[in-house]
Amino acid sequence: MFHPLNCSRRGMLQSVACGFGGLALADIVHAATSPHTAHFMPKAKRVIFLFMAGGPSQHDLFDPKEFIRQKHGQHIDSPLRKEVTQVGTEKFLALAEAAPVKPRGESGMLISDLMPHLCSVVDDICLLRGVSTDNPQHASAVNQFHTGVFTEVRPSMGAWISYGLGTENQNLPSFVSIHAPGVRTYGSGFLPAAHQGTPLTVPMDNKTLPIENLRNVSSSDVIQRQRLDLTKRLNQRLIDNLQGDAQMEGMIQNMELAFRMQTTTPQLVDLSKETQSTLDLYGIGGGKESDRHGRACLLARRLSESGVRFVQVTMDGWDHHGDIRGNLPRLCRQTDQPVAGLLKDLKARGMLDDTLVLWSGEFGRTPWSQDLSGTAPINTHGREHQPESFCAWMAGGGVKGGFTWGETDHMGYNVINGKVHIHDLHATMLHLLGIDHTRLTFNQVGRDFRLTDVHGSVVKEILA
Amino acid sequence: MNRLTFLFAVACSTSLALANDAGEFSNDQIAFFESKIRPLLVEHCYECHAAGSKILQGGLRVDHRAGLLKGGDSGAAVVPKQAAKGLLIKALRHEDVKMPPKGKLPDSVIKDFETWIAMGAPDPRAADDRPVRTIDLEEGRKHWAFQPVTDPKPPAVGDAKWPLVPLDRFVLARLDAKGLKPVADADRFTWLRRVSLDLTGLPPTPAEITAFVSDQSPQAFETVVDRLLNSRAYGERWARHWLDLTGYADMMGTSNNVFAEHSWRYRDYLIATYQKDKPFDRFVREQIAGDLMPAETTEERAENIVGTGFLMVGDVEIVEPDKAKLEADHIDTQVIKIGTSFLGMTLGCVRCHDHKFDPITIPEYYGIAGMLRSSPSTHKIPFGVWSILNSTELPETPEQLVTRQKLEADHAAKLTGMKTEREKLEGEKNAVAKELAQLEQATTSATSGNSNEATKDVAADQARKDSLKKRRDELTGQIQRLGPLIQHAEFFQSKVPKAFAMRDGDHPADMPIYIRGNPYAPAAVVPRGTIQVASWDKFPAIPAGQSGRLQLADWIADKRNPLTPRVAVNRVWQKLFGEGIVRSVDYFGTRGELPSHPELLDHLATRFVQVGWSQKKLIRELVLSRTYRLSSANDVDAVQVDPDNRLLWRTNRQRLEAEAIRDSLLAVSGELIGSDGGPGLVLEERENCGDLVQQGVNPPNYNHRKPRPQQEFQRSIYLPVMRTNTINLDRIRNQFDFVNPAQIAGQRSQTVVPTQALFVMNNDLFRKRAKALADRLLKETPQADARLERLWLQALNRPVSDEERVIAKSVLADLDAAISEPNAEVKEALKWHELCHSLLASNEFIFRI
Repeated sequence: MFHPLNCSRRGMLQSVACGFGGLALADIVHAATSPHTAHFMPKAKRVIFLFMAGGPSQHDLFDPKEFIRQKHGQHIDSPLRKEVTQVGTEKFLALAEAAPVKPRGESGMLISDLMPHLCSVVDDICLLRGVSTDNPQHASAVNQFHTGVFTEVRPSMGAWISYGLGTENQNLPSFVSIHAPGVRTYGSGFLPAAHQGTPLTVPMDNKTLPIENLRNVSSSDVIQRQRLDLTKRLNQRLIDNLQGDAQMEGMIQNMELAFRMQTTTPQLVDLSKETQSTLDLYGIGGGKESDRHGRACLLARRLSESGVRFVQVTMDGWDHHGDIRGNLPRLCRQTDQPVAGLLKDLKARGMLDDTLVLWSGEFGRTPWSQDLSGTAPINTHGREHQPESFCAWMAGGGVKGGFTWGETDHMGYNVINGKVHIHDLHATMLHLLGIDHTRLTFNQVGRDFRLTDVHGSVVKEILA
Repeated sequence: MNRLTFLFAVACSTSLALANDAGEFSNDQIAFFESKIRPLLVEHCYECHAAGSKILQGGLRVDHRAGLLKGGDSGAAVVPKQAAKGLLIKALRHEDVKMPPKGKLPDSVIKDFETWIAMGAPDPRAADDRPVRTIDLEEGRKHWAFQPVTDPKPPAVGDAKWPLVPLDRFVLARLDAKGLKPVADADRFTWLRRVSLDLTGLPPTPAEITAFVSDQSPQAFETVVDRLLNSRAYGERWARHWLDLTGYADMMGTSNNVFAEHSWRYRDYLIATYQKDKPFDRFVREQIAGDLMPAETTEERAENIVGTGFLMVGDVEIVEPDKAKLEADHIDTQVIKIGTSFLGMTLGCVRCHDHKFDPITIPEYYGIAGMLRSSPSTHKIPFGVWSILNSTELPETPEQLVTRQKLEADHAAKLTGMKTEREKLEGEKNAVAKELAQLEQATTSATSGNSNEATKDVAADQARKDSLKKRRDELTGQIQRLGPLIQHAEFFQSKVPKAFAMRDGDHPADMPIYIRGNPYAPAAVVPRGTIQVASWDKFPAIPAGQSGRLQLADWIADKRNPLTPRVAVNRVWQKLFGEGIVRSVDYFGTRGELPSHPELLDHLATRFVQVGWSQKKLIRELVLSRTYRLSSANDVDAVQVDPDNRLLWRTNRQRLEAEAIRDSLLAVSGELIGSDGGPGLVLEERENCGDLVQQGVNPPNYNHRKPRPQQEFQRSIYLPVMRTNTINLDRIRNQFDFVNPAQIAGQRSQTVVPTQALFVMNNDLFRKRAKALADRLLKETPQADARLERLWLQALNRPVSDEERVIAKSVLADLDAAISEPNAEVKEALKWHELCHSLLASNEFIFRI
C-alpha cells in the first residue's frame, strides 16, 4: 500500500502500475480504474482494432466502379484541386480493380475474390464505404486516425477508452498495441500514464522479446533476485527516511511486477498450447504467409478474452504506389485468414456480441493509377493515397451485420451518401461502448479536450 | 478608435446593408416564410443557433436574416436565389454537415426551404447584429497575468534569521500565515547532489563532494554554485530545457525520415547562449527576428541567424501536397510556439475562433500569422510533392573560411580519388572483357580445327578464361560498391555552413483571416500586430517591405510586457523547485492556475529584468536561497494542511529526466566524454543515408544504423532526435517521459510504469555502465572496505552507512555463493558488477531528493 504520508495528488495519479503481473494488483492499479462510468447501456465492452497501415485500396477490395472499369488505362478528368500536387499520376489513367469483386453472403455485400475468408463472414460485418479523413500523408493520417488530430500530441483512442472505462482485469494493461506503428498511436498524451498502450511484439523466434528489456541480464534468476533485493532494501531505507513518496513507492512495486513479467509475459504470448484447429483457423503455421498476422490476431483474441479493453493489431504493407496487381493479393494472403479467423473465433466463443472489431487503414487509394517511372504498362501501376473516401468495416459490438453503409460517386472519389468522417467513427465507437463522445473529456490548460475535439456525430444508421 | 471596435463596426455595417432589403418582399412571400420556414427554424435550429443558445454552435445564427446571409464559421448559410450555394440546404440534405443532427427533415420541407431561397429568402425578422460574445479588453486586462509586473517589498517574517535572500521572506511569510514551519535544511551531501543535478544534469564527483563538505567558509555554497554555472554542463542541461519548448528534432517533419541536417546548429546555439548567459530579452529577439537584427561581427551575425531556428525546428508535414494548407498549418505551429514559450498563452484555438476563455481575438491571431506568412519558412522542391525547410548560408570569419575550404579540398580529393579508382577499375574491366571476348572468339575458331596443339591450347585458354571471368566479377563488385560511395560524397561535397533560418519574403503583407483556419476561405485582411490585452501601447508601425517579426520580437522582449518576464522566471523556478509558482507553466490565461505566491513571482520577474535578464543571476539567487536548501522529508503536521506542498515547507522530490539518468550513469561509470557539439546525425556514414538522388520521388532520408563510436558516451543532448524513434540510443528517452518532438511542453510528466522498471533492471545502458563502474572501482580502489565507501560516494553521493556496509557485505557473500566462476578475479568482477547495478537501479540514483 501507499505510505500514509505520501502526499502528491498528481503523484498518486501518475504512479501507476499496469502490466502483465501474476498476482492481484488491485492495490496498485487502482488509478487505472476510471473516473467515469458508462453514460448509457453499452453494446460493446471492448474493442479490437485491426489497423491496415499504409492504406488498403477500397477500389480493389470493396468498392469498384463501372466507370473506372470501362475507362481502364484511359485518361479521366482529375477531380483534384489545382493546388494539390501528386507525382506519377499526371496522366490520370483509370485503373480497374485487380480482381473480381462480387456479392457475397445473404446480404450480397461486395467483397473481392482476393479475400475469400472474409467472404465467408460478410453477414457479420458492417461495411462503411464513405469513410473520410483530412490528410493524404501517412504520418498525419495515422495520427488523426489514432488521436483525432494530426498536428498536436493528444491521447490515442485506446487511451481515451481506457480512461473512459477503466480496466476489466487488474492484472493486465487496459490497452495493448501489437506491432504498434509509432509512439503517438498508443500514447496517453495528457491523460494519466496508466492509460497508455503497452506495445507488444509477437515473437517469431527465440531472440525477439514480446516487450523490450524482458530478458534477465544476470547469469541466473537467483543472482538477479539478490541484486533486486539489495535495490529494494536501499529503496525502502530511502522511503523510510523521507516518510513516504508515492512515485518511489510505485517504482518499488513496478520492480516486483517487472520481475514477474519476465516469466508471465512469455507465457502469455506462448501459443504452443493452442489446439491445431485453432492454429489452422487463424492460418498459423511455419511457412504460411499468414503466420505472423495469424499469431497476432490469436493473441488479440486471448488478450480481449482476458479483459483488455482495447487491443490493436497493426498489419502493415498496404502502401501500394506501384504494382497493385502484384502486391495487393500478397497482403490479402497475409491478412485475410487471420482476420476472418478472429471473427469466427470470437463468434464461436460468444464474444462477438460485446466485442467491437474495427478494420481500417489510415486512408484509401485513388481510382486513378500511379506510376512513378512514367513508362510502366498500366497493369503494373499502383494507386496514390486518397483521404476523401475509403472503406472500413466494423463487426460485432452492436453494429448491423451484413450491412453496407455509404456510397461514393461514379469514380469513387467523393462520398455522396453516408459519409463517416474519422471523428464520426470515433464518436460511434465510443457510443457503442456506452460513452457519449461529447462528455468524455479531460481538462488541460483550461480547456476540456475530447477524442472528437469539437466534431463527430454517431452514425446511427449502422447501429443494430 | 480601438481596432477591435473598428472591426466590429465593419461587420455591422455590412450586415446592415444586407438587412435593408428585407422590406422589399411581398406579403405573400413573407407569409410563406412565416408559415413554412420560421416555425421549422424555431423548432429545429434555435436551440444551438440563436441569441438565446446556451452555446452558439459554429458561430451561426438563424434567428435573423442577416445571420443566415452572413453564416457561421464555415461560410454563408443562405445565398438568396441560389439554393445550391449556401450551406443551409446542403446541411438539410445531410450532404456534408448534417442538420438537424437529430435526423433529416422530410424532403418536402427541404423543398420548401429551396423555394424560399429561390424567392430571395424573404424574412422580416429584425436585424440583430449584437455579437453573441464580445471581447471586453478592459475587463480582460483585470486578469492577474495581464496586469503590469509590480515590485512588492519582501514581507516581514516571524523568524528573521531563517531567510537567506529576499525570496525566502515571501515563502516564509506564507508559511507563517498558515501556521506552518519549514522542515530542517537538507544535509550538505543532499544539497550538493541536488544543486549539481539541477544545474548541470550530472551528479557531483567524490572529489567535489569532499571539497564541499570540508569547506567551512561562508562562501562554500556560492563557490559550488559559481563552479556549476560556469561549466559547459550547465549550458548543456538548460539548453535541453529550452528545446522542450521548440519541438526540436533532427528530422524535417515525421514522414520518411527526411533529415534536417542543420538543426544541430540551433541546439549548439542554445548551449552557447546559456553558457555565456546571453540576456534573456536578447535571446528572445534573436529567436524571432535574429536575421533582421544588426550585428557587429561575423560570429554575431551568424548567431543571430541561427537563433531563428526556434521557428523552424518543429514538426512540419513537409509531404503535404496541398501547399496552401501546409503554409497555414506551419504558421499555426509557429504562432502556437511563440504564444506558449514566451507568453504562456494558448493561441492555437484562435486560428478558428476568438479564444473561448482569454481576451484574444481572431484578428490578433492573424496579426501575428501575417508576420510569419511574410517570412516563408518552407519551399517546395522542384520535383515530387515535397517541401523542405528554408536554410540560410552563414557568414564565415576568414579563419572559418580557410578551415572550410580545407575540408572541401580534402573532400574533393577523396572524391576524385574514388572517381579515379573507378575509372581505373572500369578500364581494367574493359580490358578484361576485351581479352575474354578475344579468347571466346579464338576458342570458337580453334575447336573447328583438331590438332593436339589446339587441345592443349584449349585447356590453357579455359584456365585463362576462368581467371578472367573471376577478375571481371571482382571488378564489377568493386565498381558497384564505389557507386553509392561516390554518390554520397558528391551529395555532401559542399561544406558551406548553413542553418534553418527565417528570412523576410519578397512581399511582406497583412494577411486575411482564414475562416475556421481554412486557407481556401479567406475573409477580411487584418493588420499585422499582436495581442492587445498584454499590450501597453499601440503596436508600432511596420516599415514597408518588412515582415514585422522584429517589432513583434521587441514587443515580447520589452520589460513592460506583463507576460514575458513572469513566464520566464516561472519556468526557471519550476526546473529548480519541481512545480512552478504558477503550476501551469505553459498557460497563464484565465483558466490556468493562479500563482501560489503572486508577490514572489512579481518580485522575481522585477529582479530578473533589473539584473539585465540574466538567467544565471536568477538561478544563482534561487539555489542559494534557504527555501532551496530544505530537506525533502515529509512533516506530519504540514502534510495535513498543505498536502501538495504548494507553500514550500519542504523541497519537492523529482525523478530525473531521461537525459539526466543516462548522463549520470555515464558520469558515474567514468565513461562520459565531452563534446563541442556538431551534427547529431551521422550523415558521413553511407549506410545511414537512404536514397540520395536529388530528383527522386522522396527527398534524401536518414536511417540511424551506425552511430559514431563516441556517441554512446556523449551527453544525451548530442544524440539525434528522431520523431520516428528508431534509434537504440534513444530507448531511455522513450521510456522516461522525453517530450515528444512534435510537442511544445515546458514541464515533463513523471510517469511510473512497469516498463521503466524492466529498463532499469535489464537494459544494456544500466548493465554496461554498472560493469564499467565495477571495473573502475576494482582497479582504482583495491581494498574492499574502501571500495564500498567509494561506491556509495560515487553512485549515491553520500557516505555508506554502517548498516548498509553490513548489508552490502552479506550481499557480496550471497553472490559469491550463487556465482559459479572458477577464476577468482573474474568472480570478484561479476560480484561487483551486480552490486553496482543494484545501486544504479535504486530510487536514490534515479531521483533527486
